[in-house]
Amino acid sequence: MIKVLNGGIEVLVEDWPGRLGYMGLGMAAAGAMDNLALQLGNLIVGNGAGEAGLEIAGGYCDFEITEDGVIAVTGSDMSPTLGGEGLPLWQAVSVKTGDTLHFSHFGDAGFRSYLCIAGGIDVPEYLGSKSTCLFGSYGGFEGRKLAKDDVVKTVRKNLAGIAGRKLNPKYLPEYGNEWELRAIPGPNSVPDYVTEEGMDYLFGTPMKISHNANRAAYRLQEVPASFWAREDGGKGGSHPSNIVDHGYNMRGAVNVTGNTPSLLIADGPTLGGFVCVANVINADLWKIGQGIPARDKVKLKLVTVEDAIQARKERAEMLKAEDLILC
Amino acid sequence: MSKYEVILDTLPAKGDRIEILFRQAGDGFIQVEYGYEQRVELLDSFRILAVDAKVKQTKNNGLIETLPSLRANMIHFDPTVISPMALIDKIKEAEESIAGVDDMVIDSRIITLPIAFEDSQTKKAVEMYLKQVRKDAPNCTDGYNLEYMALCNGCSVDDIKQMLLDTYWYNSGCGFWPGGGFFWPMDPRCKMLVPKYNPPRIWTPEGAVGIGGACLFTYTTATGGGYQLFGRTIPTFQFSMKHPQFKDGPFLYRPSGDRIKFVEVSEKEILDIYDHVHDRTDYVYDIVDSRIVVKEYLDFLAKPEVVKGAAEFAARQEQGSGTAPKL
Repeated sequence: MIKVLNGGIEVLVEDWPGRLGYMGLGMAAAGAMDNLALQLGNLIVGNGAGEAGLEIAGGYCDFEITEDGVIAVTGSDMSPTLGGEGLPLWQAVSVKTGDTLHFSHFGDAGFRSYLCIAGGIDVPEYLGSKSTCLFGSYGGFEGRKLAKDDVVKTVRKNLAGIAGRKLNPKYLPEYGNEWELRAIPGPNSVPDYVTEEGMDYLFGTPMKISHNANRAAYRLQEVPASFWAREDGGKGGSHPSNIVDHGYNMRGAVNVTGNTPSLLIADGPTLGGFVCVANVINADLWKIGQGIPARDKVKLKLVTVEDAIQARKERAEMLKAEDLILC
Repeated sequence: MSKYEVILDTLPAKGDRIEILFRQAGDGFIQVEYGYEQRVELLDSFRILAVDAKVKQTKNNGLIETLPSLRANMIHFDPTVISPMALIDKIKEAEESIAGVDDMVIDSRIITLPIAFEDSQTKKAVEMYLKQVRKDAPNCTDGYNLEYMALCNGCSVDDIKQMLLDTYWYNSGCGFWPGGGFFWPMDPRCKMLVPKYNPPRIWTPEGAVGIGGACLFTYTTATGGGYQLFGRTIPTFQFSMKHPQFKDGPFLYRPSGDRIKFVEVSEKEILDIYDHVHDRTDYVYDIVDSRIVVKEYLDFLAKPEVVKGAAEFAARQEQGSGTAPKL
């Protein structure tokens, strides 16, 4: 068990792949914003890769360990300390009852840390997932972010041989301040919705992440007016970004409202009346969650569906690699 | 050909079937779009739902979920299990098995929902809007939106209420908010048209019944929103799943095809039903299994009195929308 002393900016229970199968009923998948860091953290502490962990956005939070166990911290380096001593990332560490765990704040690169606990987080599954949908206030820990004095239960597990396991450094994800997101155009693209020039801009220009970025959408900087291949939205509305309401290719949709593109992610809308001009490939979704709002940039890189499927397969193989974890 | 082209395949128009486009939408998404030009026709939705049911009936490994909307269906799948082209072939097979409108029969439950007009919760939402969002909002006469809706449609408040009660409201798909359906009037003589709030509300009570454009929505939980409000109906969603109607999921509406029929009751009755749904959990929903025989519906639309009535209403509406204040 772990007690929250200070909930910081936003600490949530999230798993992977989240709550699939309910988009047609208006429920987004939610799930970890950086699914790679969560999955690696889980594998380090001997959990199933998709088990729920704590997603720490921004930092500034403190916890008290209320039961002996083993933890691993992955993702962005927020200079975590355990009992005042520096805590190494990407490594399984024993914790004792009474230990305090402190996270400073996001630093040079990355915006989210994951705290994975051997055994996993014990919250009830809601519609097949432990993930919090913050936007809809359901799932996870009472449908909300954690606050002071919350006690999060963990599942007990045989802890023998877990402490000391660590990620093979060759698999360490690369962090930076400009995130290259491989993406596929569609469903709304050239020639009917967007100009060739517009797509060149979208796929060639580093775009700053707005301060207006949350678990539902990461807003990016505006596209130029030459982006549009049409005068208006026809039956969908007056602006060329309007369309008769359609389902969104969520998670990963590049949705444009007015001239502002947004990356629709975890808790994003499932359906609406704006065009979706591209989709960030599944294997690169994790990078969005590490983009620092109001500071980092994203750059879309055009790839084919075949490339994207190959990248998915490689990711799945990597997570099963025999040399992934060093004992 | 542009490297940003997204149309992977098409089915040509045939008989009364419109052209169908398969658009790439990511490495796990394909959009099936009905018609190259956007239009708002329930007939397209009937076809989408008939095909959607067939696609889901056949065991398609790798299919995760579908998101039908009025003129498109977003297919979410795992491309490591089924290739995009193989999935398109399956959907084409389902398409080809439906020869034409004469063959189309849609499963469609009839859900009778009580509604109270001019209730206190709707009034509260409108008052809050005036106080907190837009003091001079022209759509909030006497604490409700009904006067404004009447103005926009060139008719009286009583006409507005009667049109809501007279028609069946057909669900083309769910989305936007957990459990929410997008409902369309089946009787063109009741096809009210109203602009959405500008800017949107920050609070709407659970059960509010609203309309934006021609589309009706029942608010499943308290949330923001932009539709003009008629009044308040009973719960159409229950997160806790305590009531037997919700034992398999928090949703009242199925992903699509349901029809609503409203009956007017007092606010006291509505409040009483809230108690019997959420607290005593013994309210019995009035839901009847039924179907839409599309041919019969088209015959109804072609009746002289329906054609004449719809044209007369459209003329009044045009006049009304010209004089009503813009939002």
